[in-house]
Amino acid sequence: MNFSFSDDQILLRNSVRAALDEQCKPAHVRAMFDDPKGYSDHLWGEMAKLGWLGLPFPEEQGGAGLGLVELALVLEEMGRAAYPGPFFATVVLGGLGLTLGGSAAQKDKWLSAIASGTVRATAALLEEHLDWDPAATAATAAKSGSGWALSGLKRFVPWAHAADVVLVPARSPEGLSLFLVDPKSAGVTLTPMVGIDLGSRWSEMRLDKVAVGADAILGQPGTAGPVVESLLRRAAVMSSAEMLGAARRCLDMSVEYAKVREQFGQPIGSFQAIRHRCAEMLLEVENAHAAVYYAAWALTAGAEDAAVAASICKSYVNEAARKVCGDSIQVHGGIGFTWEYDLHLYMKRAKALEPLYGDTEYHRELITRHVTSSR
Amino acid sequence: MDLNYTPEDIAFRKQVRTWLEQNLPKTEIRNLEDRRAWHRKLFDAGYLGMGWPKEYGGGGARPMEQAVVADEMARVNAPSPTNSLGLGIAGPTIVVHGTDAQKRRYLKKILSAEELWCQLYSEPNAGSDLAALRTSAVDQGDHFVVNGQKIWTSAGAIADWGLLLARTDTKVAKHKGISCFLMNMRQPGVDVRPLKQITGSSEFSEVFMTNARVEKSDQIGKLGEGWAIAQTTLGYERGGRALARVTNYASQHSRLVEAARRMRRHGKPLIEDPLVRQKLGRIWAEIEVERYQALRTLTLLERGEHPGAGGSLTKLSYSELEKRFMELALEILGPYGQLTEGAPKEFQLEIDTAVGERGSWAYAYLWSRAGTIYAGSSEIQKNVIGERILGLPKETRADRVGGKA
Ligand SMILES: Cc1cc2nc3c(=O)[nH]c(=O)nc-3n(C[C@H](O)[C@H](O)[C@H](O)COP(=O)(O)OP(=O)(O)OC[C@H]3O[C@@H](n4cnc5c(N)ncnc54)[C@H](O)[C@@H]3O)c2cc1C
Repeated sequence: MNFSFSDDQILLRNSVRAALDEQCKPAHVRAMFDDPKGYSDHLWGEMAKLGWLGLPFPEEQGGAGLGLVELALVLEEMGRAAYPGPFFATVVLGGLGLTLGGSAAQKDKWLSAIASGTVRATAALLEEHLDWDPAATAATAAKSGSGWALSGLKRFVPWAHAADVVLVPARSPEGLSLFLVDPKSAGVTLTPMVGIDLGSRWSEMRLDKVAVGADAILGQPGTAGPVVESLLRRAAVMSSAEMLGAARRCLDMSVEYAKVREQFGQPIGSFQAIRHRCAEMLLEVENAHAAVYYAAWALTAGAEDAAVAASICKSYVNEAARKVCGDSIQVHGGIGFTWEYDLHLYMKRAKALEPLYGDTEYHRELITRHVTSSR
Repeated sequence: MDLNYTPEDIAFRKQVRTWLEQNLPKTEIRNLEDRRAWHRKLFDAGYLGMGWPKEYGGGGARPMEQAVVADEMARVNAPSPTNSLGLGIAGPTIVVHGTDAQKRRYLKKILSAEELWCQLYSEPNAGSDLAALRTSAVDQGDHFVVNGQKIWTSAGAIADWGLLLARTDTKVAKHKGISCFLMNMRQPGVDVRPLKQITGSSEFSEVFMTNARVEKSDQIGKLGEGWAIAQTTLGYERGGRALARVTNYASQHSRLVEAARRMRRHGKPLIEDPLVRQKLGRIWAEIEVERYQALRTLTLLERGEHPGAGGSLTKLSYSELEKRFMELALEILGPYGQLTEGAPKEFQLEIDTAVGERGSWAYAYLWSRAGTIYAGSSEIQKNVIGERILGLPKETRADRVGGKA
């Protein structure tokens, strides 16, 4: 039993942090707010070179063959930098989705292209009804010639406008199935959905009898339920890692500020109201850290409690990040409420991720199902 | 990072489990003598003082092994050993700061519960501000004479010995004039008066010392070093118990789930009420996160590192969690929750409530109020975290003004 990072893992984290400190400064984040595409191709190319884009994929498919702990380390740093771009969509949603459900041919084709930086991907996991349970999927897939015709309405599809391929769960006559869709195909309409975090982009994705080939389905028709569930779990934990990074940044900035900002002739950090708040923030950040890395390890190792650990992670980190980021604004006072000060970049990232990949109540219900069924 | 237990640890756990199956008391523990007998059995099996040096009766075991024993005991809801302050505070202080003669004289008897201990730190006017203590120990050449009053002394009424902090020098800054002693509680100058707690029982006491005697050979460390010694001892109150504590919470949670299955509201079992399900899910997540943290702490201890100020995070976390948990439990249990007697079996707790009392939910709820007060209140822990981990500036305090302390 060893709940600490290896030297390699620490090295990875440090190199990711150094690269993002250099190339993803707040000025870059802000510049991307006004960029039509919303992310930098240059930085994308760098990430490919550094091996981040293929990090969790098998080596045969151009990946680094690492696990979710390492991926969480990268995503924590991205949250800390409020990185704007389709990394999460591509590597977690698209890439892990393909890893979990794709055939050897599909993986060969797509994963190495993702790893080399030539392809961006995403997944459309949420619909109009906002129910994360894959069983609630309403989109349909009808047989059409040798392939399929997909129809339905997907919402909050991350970085769909930048994607070359979207994983789309839809209900075929056999049951829930998962398809690869090119968002530029005829019948696909993308409408931007703009949220508070301008470094994240989403689209509404309308599919109107979108024709896909026979090779566009992942696995056998009707078997996608468990794949989508596993993907959702991974997305829940990996988005938690990103929220953790954002929260830690908010805490760090608050502590630094509390040391230098003076009122009543003293640094505000000497006042217990502020100091105790910072101590509580640290407690939440450390607990969130434990929740994220425990779940990431459990999923990678296929531990018995992996599924419930993912739900524990997301529900816990949702609340922890909400508290820490919210409190950071309070510690900063007026300056924390300004557009020019960087705090809101991180706070908004966490806020945007909170309801995604299972909100707090959704995961709490799963936890209770687990504790009431296992005893 | 590898959170799997090693084959050795798994084998050890199995061995402990088997021992507990065979040796767990079959009848209820009713009095101190029963508890002492159970304690003795645990000691003979090598499950007490596991980390203490072998030459003084300890087991020289790894932190993981200690955690596994505590965890397995919690799993089967085994009664705690007696002498918790001897094992948790006095013993470790003697192990670290005591002389060889002191180790030989005291440690074995702590482990066997032949001598029971208490901790004589707090005073009526020195609680959180422990260094303000006024009890005096005056050097009489061959011994010290102690005068003063201690309060909230857990196990005071049954203790044979006390770990004492007393002032030996009034002319220096307050943190510098304190020394640490081992004091015989069974002497004419020591008067112990039990105090009744909000639980109705009397685990703590007031202790009055009037010309009490402490031998020179029972001084721990150097004169005037009592404050530093107390700082390290307070650290022992954390550590490897964390995993066991979580296992206790887990058993309590499953009792709560059971109770929620039995109760009905609007014609349906309470367990089907979405609000109740949300509450149960939330607190289970918090309990599990506490378990992950316990594993993190164990990793440090296994590497021979001391959590240091990080212990304050652990203490703050679990004591506040326990309070939230018990509040939620009583909310779910409704009027059953506050019963101390006469509750139907399915709504009783019947789980060791960390103080070694088989308790009702009501008792556990009341007891949960203590954790955020003793061993450094939550406010004090947050001060420590703010200053020592986050490096925030110290507050201006009267006892730090004018170059003192
Ligand atoms: C069940 C129980 C068992 C105990 N057992 C023992 C024992 O065996 N031996 C022993 O020596 N002692 C024991 N104690 C005493 C315990 O250590 C003290 O109660 C504790 O240190 C708090 O001191 P106090 O009660 O004087 O409260 P105070 O110090 O008066 O505190 C009152 C309130 O003020 C807050 N406060 C105090 N100072 C500050 C500050 N600087 N900043 C912010 N807030 C502050 C506290 O957090 C608390 O909320 C026990 C207490 C309990 C409840």
